[in-house]
Amino acid sequence: MGAPWNQRAARRARRLERLAPLTRGREIAAADMVAALEAAIEPGDRVCLEGNNQKQADFLAESLADCSPERLHDLHMVQSVLALPSHIDVFERGIANRLDFSFSGPQANRLARLVQERRIAIGAIHTYLELFGRYFVDLTPDVCLIAAQAADADGNLYLGPNTEDTPAIVEATAFRHGIVVAQVNEKLARLPRVDIPADWTDAFVVAPRPNYIEPLFTRDPSLITEIQVLMAMMAIKGIYAEYGVQRLNHGIGFDTAAIELLLPTYAESLGLRGRICKHWALNPHPTLIPAIEAGFVESVHSFGSEVGMENYVAARSDVFFTGRDGSMRSNRAFCQTAGLYACDMFIGSTLQIDLAGNSSTATLGRIAGFGGAPNMGSDARGRRHASPAWLRAGRERAGDGIATRGQKLVVQTVETFREHMAPAFVERLDAWQLMEDMGMDLPPIMIHGDDVTHIVTEEGIANLLLCRSAAEREQAIRGVAGYTPVGRARDARMVENLRDRGVIRRPDDIGIDKRDATRDLLAARSIKDLVRASGGLYDPPRRFRNW
Amino acid sequence: MNRPHRHSWFEADARARIAGLVDAGSFRELCGAHERLTSPHLAALDLPAAFDDGVVVGEATLDGRPVLVGAQQGAFNGGAVGEIHGAKLRGLFERARRTRPAAVLLAIDSGGVRLHEANAGLIAISELMRALLAARADGIPVYGLIGGSCGAFGGMGIVARLCDALVMSEEGRLGLSGPEVIETVKGVDEFDSKDRALVWRVTGGKLRRSLGDATMLVDDDIASFRDAARSLLARPVPARDLAALDADQRALAQRAARYAEARDGLDIWRVLGLPDPGAIPMLDAADFNRLLASLPSPTEAA
Repeated sequence: MGAPWNQRAARRARRLERLAPLTRGREIAAADMVAALEAAIEPGDRVCLEGNNQKQADFLAESLADCSPERLHDLHMVQSVLALPSHIDVFERGIANRLDFSFSGPQANRLARLVQERRIAIGAIHTYLELFGRYFVDLTPDVCLIAAQAADADGNLYLGPNTEDTPAIVEATAFRHGIVVAQVNEKLARLPRVDIPADWTDAFVVAPRPNYIEPLFTRDPSLITEIQVLMAMMAIKGIYAEYGVQRLNHGIGFDTAAIELLLPTYAESLGLRGRICKHWALNPHPTLIPAIEAGFVESVHSFGSEVGMENYVAARSDVFFTGRDGSMRSNRAFCQTAGLYACDMFIGSTLQIDLAGNSSTATLGRIAGFGGAPNMGSDARGRRHASPAWLRAGRERAGDGIATRGQKLVVQTVETFREHMAPAFVERLDAWQLMEDMGMDLPPIMIHGDDVTHIVTEEGIANLLLCRSAAEREQAIRGVAGYTPVGRARDARMVENLRDRGVIRRPDDIGIDKRDATRDLLAARSIKDLVRASGGLYDPPRRFRNW
Repeated sequence: MNRPHRHSWFEADARARIAGLVDAGSFRELCGAHERLTSPHLAALDLPAAFDDGVVVGEATLDGRPVLVGAQQGAFNGGAVGEIHGAKLRGLFERARRTRPAAVLLAIDSGGVRLHEANAGLIAISELMRALLAARADGIPVYGLIGGSCGAFGGMGIVARLCDALVMSEEGRLGLSGPEVIETVKGVDEFDSKDRALVWRVTGGKLRRSLGDATMLVDDDIASFRDAARSLLARPVPARDLAALDADQRALAQRAARYAEARDGLDIWRVLGLPDPGAIPMLDAADFNRLLASLPSPTEAA
C-alpha cells in the first residue's frame, strides 16, 4: 500500500519541514511566532485554539490574529471558549470564517454581530463533551495551539493546575497527524511532572507574559444576600437531606456559593455531615473551603483550577486530585463525564424559566452558548448504576408506574426577580427570538424542562417529578414564581392542591423559619474569612481583598 | 447553631449598629424617620431622599450611663453629609452641652460632604465640627467608631480626628482624600485605587492604629465595638489642655519625618520594627494588638 493511505502523515511532514528553519530544537522565538504559524498552518485548515473556561493560549491567539489573511484564510476554528478579543479578531480580519464552539461569554456580542453580517458560519454550539467528542470524529484539528505552564528542551509539557481541555485537544490532534504547538510560561531544565509527553508535541514558544487565567469561580461571600441564604436553607433541608445527595455538581453563582457556606453551619445543625455532599465534580471553589475544613467533603475532581487555590489544593491532597509533584491535576473532559454520569445532582441558576421548565441564560443580541451546564444539567439516560438519591427520584417520576431507571436530580435555583426587576419566570424564553434573529435550527435552551426535577425560589420548592400532567407542571412552576406576571397568573386552588400533595413546598412546610435566614449563618462572610478558614493557604487575587 | 454568632459591624446598618452598641432597648431616636426630615436639595435635583437623611441620632445608656449616639447610614449616598444630615449631628452635640451625657458616640460611615448639596453641605459639616469642639470644650468626651464600608473620608475624616478617641476595625478606613480621588488627581502611579489590598494597608484600621490615629483596633464585630466603647467610657475624660496639644503636634512632626519615605503600610510596619509586615493584614485584632504592644514604643501618639 502506498501514498494514498498516508497522506495526512505526508502533509504533516511538509508542514514540519516549513517550520524547521524557525525552530531551535523544539523552541520557537516569540518574535518568530507569526511566521511560524504561517508556516505550520495552511488555508482551509481546521485549527483548535486553546481557549478554555479559564486558561487562555492568549499569545498564540494574538499571533494567529496577526497572521496575513493572504497567507492564512478560510480557517475553521474549533475551540471550546471564545473569551479574548483576539478570538474574534481572527474572524474580523478574514483569517477564519467557520466556527464550532461551546461558550463565548465575554465575546458574545461581537460574535452575534459577525453572524448577522454573515462573516462567520457557525457549525454548531456544543456542550463541552459534545465538542470534545467531535474532535475525535469529524472535527479533528489539523493544528492545535495550546497553553502550558512549562516546557523542557525536549518539548515535554507541564500543564500546572489548570489542565482543563489540553489533554483532549492534544490527544485528538497528535494521533491524527496534526501539528501541536504550545505556548509556555517558562522553560525548565526539569519539569515538576510531565502532563504531555514530548513525542505528542511539535514546537513551543516561551510567551512574553504568562498565559491569562480568569478567576471565574471566586464568589465573594460578602455579596451573598439573605434571600440566597433562605433558598440555600430550603435546598439543603428540602432536597439534599431528603434525597441524601452524596455526589453532585454545583453551578458557579452566588446561590450555590451560599449552599456551600451553609454546610458547616446549617447542614451541620441538621446532622447532615457524612450524609450529604461527600463527592464533588467541581472546580476548587474558595467558598467550599469551610465545608472541606469541617469534614463534609471526601473528594473533589475539577474541570480546571482557580487562581489563588493552588497552595490550599496541594495541602489537601486527600480531597483533590494532585500529581506526584503535589500540584493539582484537573481535566475538563473527565470531570464533565463525571458530572454527567457519576453525579446524582446538579444545582445551578439561570436567567429565564418558561412554563414547561425550560431554562436559558441566552439573551437577545448575544450568542453565548452554555459550556458544560447542559452536560451537568441533564439526566444521563445511559446511566446504569444505582444510588439511593437516583432511585428515589426515578420512583417519584414513575409515580404509580414501574420505575425501570433512576433519575438525576436537576435543580434550578432562582430568585423570582433578577437584576433590574426582570422576572426570572416568563411565558416565552428570549431564546426563541434569538433563534429567529440568528437563523438557528433550535432555540438555545440551557436545560430542557424534561430534565429539570426541582425549581427552588424564595417562595418555595416545586418538585416537577411529582407532576402528572403538563397543566400540573405549569401550575407547580407558577406556584413558586412569586409576584412575577407568571406567578400572579396562577390558579390558586390548583396551587394549594399541589401544596397539599407536597409538589409545592413553602419554607414553613419544611420547618424553616424565614427569620432564621440571616447572613450570620454563613460559615464565611468575607473573602478574608475564607483565607482564615484555609489556615492562610488560600491566596485570593487582589481584586477580591479588602485588607 | 453550633457556632457562636458574630454580628458584623461592617455589614450592619446604622440602627443595627446602635442597637448592638448601647444597652439593649435603651436607644430613643431623635428626629426619627417618622418626622420625614428629608433633604430639600436632593428633592430639587429629583433624587431619592431618605426619611432620616442618612443619619440616625438619639440618646441611650451604655453600662447604665447616659450617652448620645449618632450613626451614619453608609448605604444612603455613601453616608455623605448634607444640610439636614449635618444639622442632626450638630444638634446632637449641642444637646450634649445641655444634657451632659457621659459621652457622645459617633459611628462614622461616610465619604464626607454630599456633593449635591454643595455649599449647604460644606457649611453643615463645618457647623458640625464647631459643635463637636464646643462639646469637648465643655468636658463632654466624643468617641468615634469606624468600621463601615464607606470608612471616614473628606470632612468626616477631619471630624474623626477631632474626636477624643477612635475605635476602628481593620475594614474601617480613615483618610482625607479617598483612594479614587487621589488616583484621579495624581494618577494611578501615585495610588492605585483598584489595588484593594494596598488601599486597606494605607487607609485601614491596622495602619491607623499603628500610627496612633486610632486608639483601639477591634475585630469586625458589633460586640467588640461595644466592649471598646465601654472601656473608653470607663476611662477618665482625656486631657485637652495646651500641653496635650503641644505633645500631639510634636508627635505628628516626628511621624512626618520618620515615615517620609513610606509608600505603603508595609513600609511603616517595617520601620516600626514589626517582624513580618506582609503577614500583618491577616492577623486578627487580638494578635495584632499583642504584637503592637510588644514594641518598645508601640505607636506615635498615645
